[in-house]
Amino acid sequence: MHSAGRSWLLLTGFILFYIIYLLFGALVFSSVERPQEDQLRTEMKALKEEFLNQSCVNAASLEHFLVKVLTANKYGVSVLKNTSMPSNWDLASSMFFANTLVTTVGYGHTTPLSDTGKAFSIIYALIGVPFTMLVLTACVQRLMYPLVLAPVGLLQRSGMEPRPATVVHFMLLLILVVLCFFLAPAAVFSTLEVSWSLLDGLYFCFISLCTIGLGDFVPGTQPGQKYRPLYQVSVMIYLFVGLMMMYLLLRTFHKMADLHGLTTFLQLPRCEDDLDEDREPIVEDHH
Amino acid sequence: MRCTTLLALLTGVMLYLVMGALVFRTLEAPDESLAYTNLIATKHSFLVNKSCVTELDFHKLVKGVVSAVEAGLDVNSLPANFTSRWDLASAFFFCGTIITTIGFGNLSPRTCYGQLFCVCYALVGIPMFGILLAGVGDHMGTVLRRAVAKIETLFLKRKVRPTTVRVISAVLSILIGCLIFLAVPTVVFQKMEDWSFLESLYFVVITLTTVGFGDYVPGGGREGMFFKPLVWLWIVFGMAYFASILTMIGNWLRVLSKRTRAEMEELRAHATDWTQNIQNMSMDFRIPNPLEFNDPFLLQRRRWKRSERRRIRRGAQGTLAHWVRGGSENGHLPNRWAGLSISMSQLEAQSSLERAVAAKSRQRVIAAESETVPRVGTGLRVDPVVVRHVEGRSFPHRMARSFSLPVAHSTSELDSPGAALQGGSVSGSESPFDSRSDVSSASSSCLALHRFQPCRTVSSMEEGGAAGITTAPEEKLILAEKYRSVANNSHKHPPAPCLLPRSSPIPHFVIPSRNPILLPSPPLHSASSASCQLLDFFGENLAYIDESSDTLSDRAQPAASEERRRRPRKPKRRSMRRQLSHRLSPMQVRRPSCDMQPPSNPPTPPPDSSLSDRPPSENHTDSAPTL
Repeated sequence: MHSAGRSWLLLTGFILFYIIYLLFGALVFSSVERPQEDQLRTEMKALKEEFLNQSCVNAASLEHFLVKVLTANKYGVSVLKNTSMPSNWDLASSMFFANTLVTTVGYGHTTPLSDTGKAFSIIYALIGVPFTMLVLTACVQRLMYPLVLAPVGLLQRSGMEPRPATVVHFMLLLILVVLCFFLAPAAVFSTLEVSWSLLDGLYFCFISLCTIGLGDFVPGTQPGQKYRPLYQVSVMIYLFVGLMMMYLLLRTFHKMADLHGLTTFLQLPRCEDDLDEDREPIVEDHH
Repeated sequence: MRCTTLLALLTGVMLYLVMGALVFRTLEAPDESLAYTNLIATKHSFLVNKSCVTELDFHKLVKGVVSAVEAGLDVNSLPANFTSRWDLASAFFFCGTIITTIGFGNLSPRTCYGQLFCVCYALVGIPMFGILLAGVGDHMGTVLRRAVAKIETLFLKRKVRPTTVRVISAVLSILIGCLIFLAVPTVVFQKMEDWSFLESLYFVVITLTTVGFGDYVPGGGREGMFFKPLVWLWIVFGMAYFASILTMIGNWLRVLSKRTRAEMEELRAHATDWTQNIQNMSMDFRIPNPLEFNDPFLLQRRRWKRSERRRIRRGAQGTLAHWVRGGSENGHLPNRWAGLSISMSQLEAQSSLERAVAAKSRQRVIAAESETVPRVGTGLRVDPVVVRHVEGRSFPHRMARSFSLPVAHSTSELDSPGAALQGGSVSGSESPFDSRSDVSSASSSCLALHRFQPCRTVSSMEEGGAAGITTAPEEKLILAEKYRSVANNSHKHPPAPCLLPRSSPIPHFVIPSRNPILLPSPPLHSASSASCQLLDFFGENLAYIDESSDTLSDRAQPAASEERRRRPRKPKRRSMRRQLSHRLSPMQVRRPSCDMQPPSNPPTPPPDSSLSDRPPSENHTDSAPTL
């Protein structure tokens, strides 16, 4: 009973802390973003007034017109001139969309318009999301041995204790992943995309690889993008491999936490994937 | 997982994506071009009617408006009073979408510092939310399981078959979850946000799978203060539920692939075994050929037949075997499975006997078995354990034994529900098994999950190369089932590992979770004692038979001798004892007896007892038959 009570206590503690964390984030975002928004609003107001003043358009018809333009723009259809933008639903873009749906990133830069599309998205996601999870997990399992178990074993054989060895290895892996999957792609994106800075690229990589996918930055959607299909397919591959590496990091961390007794302390499930691999556990002669 | 399986899965995902792309293109492109033409027409009519607006001005205006929209402003209505979109409630909601990795995107930070803070915030918050989700899923799973268990007991009281009850409970838990987390919110959103039913459902699914496009976002502003927090609560619980559903689907897919592979291998092996059977049947009427003593196929087949014989004599599983034999028209696969599982339990009986004989200590036996469970789980590194507990065997035999040890325990457990399936026709064995069958049937949807989870272990074992593992899926199935049932009974861990996959940090990925290794040991401990006694008792009687003779021959159960596994196992030591004295008494063999008495007329010991290395100890133990 003690452990059950303790687990309830832990859960309430988690929930409370989570709410506080959310409030804290809300405060910070609010205070940081609001001034910018104010400024943009005043600019918009000025622009609209200027337009109305010098034209014969009345406010009502302008509103009506803008509503239509913006609705179309929301779906990626632009009304500006010189937009020989290819369709948002050609094969490569559709595949990109399907990929965002299935990896649960979900940018939202293109969304299904028709009812049939929405219904199909539901079914597609329900089947495709676990399928993708399965594939990613399988890949991670294969990668565990060369990337995690072998190096840790190597470190151990060179004389380190098990626990520091795992910590050192995790740090190394973290640095490697950040270098290869955040900084390098951010640099590439900032050069390929005209309006992205390095921070924008980094922000995009992080938001995508955590599958948050806000959608404010989406590569390959600028008009006049060269080799758009190839670009989108390579972004897809980057997303997939990056997700795999994130899962790998996660699993390594989980195993490390297991080793250090953190998961049992927090009464969380242990990373018991040794059952299904004929590999050694992350640390040799552990028990 | 095998390389080939992995490649197949990758190709599958690629094909799935391409298929989806094609369908989306067909569905959406017409609408898009229609929207484009409409917009061009609108623009044209606007410019024509309002001739004082030049195209340049127009484009300037539209660009400004579009950039404002991209910055997150809602330009549809620009009220005179400024109400920021970054008020506290909306920012709270935005943080919630960040941490749950849904990421609607209708609101996103524009400033440099906002983006930096967003990154750091998410780095800390996503793991934290993962832990929270784990805890929530845990408790939710327990509650759901208890509720479903109550309903199940209701059904069981009405003498419904346990399999039906399990299916009903799985379906019921899915339905309850769907009702609470899908149907009700859909209706609520439909009413509150003026969306259509399909749009509402679309929003619910896209949100709960954390895809989060953002084309539909709740919170239009009319609902009041408590709407957004309620939405957030629903998201948390719904995500936990959805994670379990997705894990279940994933596990079904995995099991499907494994089962197919297992059955293919069984078919293949069975074909080979049948040829062997036919050859051996023709040998029934011949004098035993000493040259056959070293034939591995023959020896192995006889070993399995001994196990079959032992199974019949045990009687407890007699009905099951009878059902298996008679009930399957195919005669191959189910028979193979049942026979193997039961014969493996016989092996376990014998090995348990050996250990008891060697150690004279039941505790050590149980400890050994429970210890071997995780060891077996770690794959084929069973040598040290096996060496410790099973002495004096050839390596493959040892290996096979160690596999059968934990598995056989589960099969003995299986037999009880299986026997219960027969309408409780198993007499005598019901008392120790009834409670367990009750418990095992008091399972929830997570049961299906756990049933399938350990199948993943099989893949690795297969990779290990032992041929006799493909049946292990079923045994591991049963193993997990038993663990689950006993865990339910003992409440030692209130796990919902089916929900845990979603619980892991960052991208909420499915840890194809499995029962914690800690879990099996204690339940196994308690569960194994009763079965151990039974097995030991029969082992005492039957091991003698096993070691001393090889009487029950092919004619006993030709249909049931389906084993071709353990081929690498070459029990050389036993070759000398292979007396092809086919003194068969079909009566004694075919007795589908429910009683658990020792064989009334044990087969005669071999004429040359010096050939067997066991009889001295066997005679010693056999001298004290109980019952």
